[in-house]
Amino acid sequence: MGVPYVPVIGLVGTDLLKRRDDMVLAPDPFDGKTVSVVAKAMRPDVAVFHVDKADRNGNVSCGYPVEAVILAEASRHVIVTAEEIVDRLDEKDAAGTFVPSILVDAVVHAPFGSHPAGMTGRYAPDKVHMKEYVAASRDDAAFAEYLKTHVFDVESHAEYVERFVPREWQRPTRAA
Amino acid sequence: MTVARDTIADLEYSETELMAVLMSREVRDGEVSACGALSQIPATGLLLAKEMHAPNAELIILNTVFRPFHTSRQFHFLAQRGELGLFFVSGVQIDGYGNYNLHQIGTDPDHPEVRFPGGYGGGMIYYCAQRTVVFRTEHTRRSLVERVDFISAAGSSPDNVLRLGNPSKLITPKANFRFDKEAGRLRLDSIHPSYTLEEIRENTGFDLGVTSAAATPAPTAEELHALRSVVRPKMIETGTYAAWAERSIGGATK
Repeated sequence: MGVPYVPVIGLVGTDLLKRRDDMVLAPDPFDGKTVSVVAKAMRPDVAVFHVDKADRNGNVSCGYPVEAVILAEASRHVIVTAEEIVDRLDEKDAAGTFVPSILVDAVVHAPFGSHPAGMTGRYAPDKVHMKEYVAASRDDAAFAEYLKTHVFDVESHAEYVERFVPREWQRPTRAA
Repeated sequence: MTVARDTIADLEYSETELMAVLMSREVRDGEVSACGALSQIPATGLLLAKEMHAPNAELIILNTVFRPFHTSRQFHFLAQRGELGLFFVSGVQIDGYGNYNLHQIGTDPDHPEVRFPGGYGGGMIYYCAQRTVVFRTEHTRRSLVERVDFISAAGSSPDNVLRLGNPSKLITPKANFRFDKEAGRLRLDSIHPSYTLEEIRENTGFDLGVTSAAATPAPTAEELHALRSVVRPKMIETGTYAAWAERSIGGATK
C-alpha cells in the first residue's frame, strides 16, 4: 500500500495493545473524536518465504493461497526458496498465488524447504520431528542444542535433507 | 423430516450436538455468518441453520470449501466493512465482562504458565461483526472466570471508540448467557436441560446477574434429524472436519 499507517477497527482495550509499540489509539482526523487503533506500516528489510515453484526469471507460484504477495510488496528485498525451478511461469499458472519477478531479488532451489512443517500439495508436517522441536523449545538450553544439531552444524541444505527429512519422502511421489 | 413433535422428550443427544443446535439458532437468514479455523461445532451449527431456518445465509467456514476468498486479507476487509452479521469465537478463559483470552494462562506477560497461539483475527472481528457468539466446551470455574488473565478481545469499549458490534451470547454445554451491553456484563439467559441454577452457579466463576432463568428449549426432532442425516455428510465432505464429524455427530437418525 505504501502508506505510513492504517486505522484498524478492533483491538481497543486488549492486553495485546499494551505490549505493542506499533499500534496506538488515535482520533479520527476528520471528526476529531472517534477513536480507533492505528497500526504502523511494516516495511521489512528482507522477506524470506518458501514456495512451490519459481521460474528462471524469478516469477513465483506460491502453490497455495497465502499473504506472500503483500509480504513481497512490503519488503525491500525478497528471497524466495522453492521446491521446484521451472523454465517459465505466468499468472495463469498460479491463480491467486502469483508473485511477479519484479518483486523478487533471489530464488533458491530448496526441495523440502518447509521441513519439518508441511507444504500444501507436496508433503504433510513431519509429526515426529515436530514433537522433538516442541520438546526442545521448552527451555533455552534444549533449544540451543536443537539449533546446533539442525542448523549451525549443518553444512548445506542438501546435508539437512539427507540427514533429517524422512527417507520415504524423498521418492518422487506426491504426499498430503 | 416429519418426525412427530411429541417424541421430542425422548430424544437423546450429545453435548456437541446440543451446542451445534444452539449455535445454529443464532444464525439469521440472509446474513453473512462466519467461523474461523478449528471451529468444528460452529461450522456444524452454520450448516444446520442453512437446512433449518436460514436457507439464504451466506456462510464462511475458514479452511474448508465454504470459503469464498483466496486470502485472509479479503476476509479481514469484509469484517472491517461491517458486512459480517455473526461470528463464532472461543477462548481459553471467558470472563463476566465478555472479555476472552486466547493468549496465556498466568498474568505475567513475560512468564506465562501456558502460552496459547493468541490471535489477531478474533481481536479484530469481535469489534466488527454485528454479533459475536462466544462458546466454550468446558463450563467450569477455570474457564469461566471473573477476570481473564490476558484480554485478547474486550467485551465492551468506551462510547467514543469506533466499534461496529459486540458479543451477543456465550454458549456452553450447560447454559446460555446473553451480553448486557449497557452493563457490560454477561447474564445467565437460559439453563440447558438436566442442569439446575445451583449447578450453573457452582461452575461459573463470575456473578450470573440473575436469580432465575428459563430452560433452554431442547433440540427438536427436526433439528436432530437434519443434523445427523444432512449436516453430518456435509461436514464429512469438508475434508477438514471429516474425522471429527464421523466421531461426534450421531450417524443417521436413531
